[in-house]
Amino acid sequence: MRTVAPAVACFAVAGLVPLFVRDAFLLDALVLILIWGASAAAWNVAGGYAGQVSLGHSAFFGVGAYAAALLATRWQLSPWLGLVVGALVATIVGLVIGYLSNRLRGPYFVLATIAFSQVLLIVGSRWRGFTAGSEGIPVPFRPGFWTLGIADKRVWVWIVLALAVIIYLVELYLERSRRGYQLAAVREDEDAALSLGVPARALKVAAITVSAALTAVCGALWAQYVGFVDPFYVFSVDLSVRFALAAIIGGVGTALGPFLGSLLVTTLETYLRAQFGGIGAGLIGIYLIIYGVILILVVRFVPEGLTGWLGARVARRAATGAG
Amino acid sequence: MATPLLSVAGISKRFGGVIANRDVSFDVFAGELVGVVGPNGAGKSTLFEIITGFYAPDAGEVRLDGARLTGLSPDRVSRLGVGRTFQKLRPFAGLTVTENVMVGALQKVHEVRRARQEALDILARVGLEEKADAHARTLSTGQRKRLELARALATRPRVLLMDEVTGGVDQRSIPGLVALVRELHAGGLTVLLIEHNMRVITAVCQRILALHLGQIIAEGTPAAVTRDPRVIEAYLGQVYV
Repeated sequence: MRTVAPAVACFAVAGLVPLFVRDAFLLDALVLILIWGASAAAWNVAGGYAGQVSLGHSAFFGVGAYAAALLATRWQLSPWLGLVVGALVATIVGLVIGYLSNRLRGPYFVLATIAFSQVLLIVGSRWRGFTAGSEGIPVPFRPGFWTLGIADKRVWVWIVLALAVIIYLVELYLERSRRGYQLAAVREDEDAALSLGVPARALKVAAITVSAALTAVCGALWAQYVGFVDPFYVFSVDLSVRFALAAIIGGVGTALGPFLGSLLVTTLETYLRAQFGGIGAGLIGIYLIIYGVILILVVRFVPEGLTGWLGARVARRAATGAG
Repeated sequence: MATPLLSVAGISKRFGGVIANRDVSFDVFAGELVGVVGPNGAGKSTLFEIITGFYAPDAGEVRLDGARLTGLSPDRVSRLGVGRTFQKLRPFAGLTVTENVMVGALQKVHEVRRARQEALDILARVGLEEKADAHARTLSTGQRKRLELARALATRPRVLLMDEVTGGVDQRSIPGLVALVRELHAGGLTVLLIEHNMRVITAVCQRILALHLGQIIAEGTPAAVTRDPRVIEAYLGQVYV
């Protein structure tokens, strides 16, 4: 049985950090690590547990971000509502993509997901009357919890931590529940799963839909935190790759993996940004090369991801310690 | 006469110009162990795929205890009580042996802990208890055959379709598998068995159907069918008749 102790420890540390750390730079990094970790974990619900690898999850993230931004700017509604609306819209988009997953397999499904996010990018950047087009939308800062106008980054850590824990629990459900076992069977061999009475198609669609809704929630909170929604960023393939990458590096189909992957990837990126910002701005792009190298190393040497690798080391140490 | 448990009526299926099944009809009664024999390409596997809902027939229908199965998706056919194994084995390679069987058990059992217990019981029945925690990909072919059986049994089928239980297995493992099939049948399981190996099928079946070029050419006790000149011809060619 996979243990939850490491996850409890990680989340506890993240929750305690704001009590001792006041440095805005560090708190900002932690918020981003948690948001990207939560997004990667949401991706993992479809890409890891259901085996439906998508490189178009930015579609859902962007839908969530736009829902929060548009509701706030056009109708002066609370971003909390935007979060719900974003999740609902993403659910519908997720149903459509989930339906595609039953027609298209493997690389064809991946391509379809990319295409989908690019269609939304075009809508977001061209529909000037509604989305403000390629200029993007500045999200107004209205102080208060209901309006999520929170300047204190410590509070933000706790808000995104709550989201991270919720998505982690969804992953845990997929590891331990009846539906989770059935979904694993579909991922391993769909025909064999069908022969055992598993409703494979419905489960795949459900997994993608839940993944989409959770990703949209991440997007809505992110928009509110960052304060600006740019269609070329929120619907980008870059962002989709980031979700998948964090999950793969951390361990596909493991509950804590996406968070560890995000810890590594986000820390690296934040560090490089700080290091090479200003005069060496041209070098910021180097993080893409470093990503690529890490990805190759992980896939080559620890295909099970950091979680599996660390788990095996801990197990070995425990075994030698006992013996 | 009692209604048959599984009733196959007038099944026909063609793939382009190839006729895989032509007007195939037969019944299986509760508690029977019926074998389907025939040389390669006789249409045995196609028939299995049609009964289990993976293929749609061009004509004819399949009924389980009077309820129509034809037109239902494979997962619904399974939930109605038709279990199957695959000729080309399809274990859930990344899951453990116990988890493989749990997926079957979870069809009827909704509680994970009870499904795990049930899976362990079934693994003991098929002689795989020592491999319970191993990953399915580490099993030998003979063990994988047992795993397929265990997984299908876990769904508590009313009739179990076995596709080539001894196919591709080394000679030493065959007697054990034959004994297992016998044991399951003795326990009350209704079985429809596809088998290439004539010796196996005559050893375990009460009644066999011989398929040739998509049609049933003989039906009866193993002794009668194996003596049937048409069956001998189908298997060995004209010269030996």
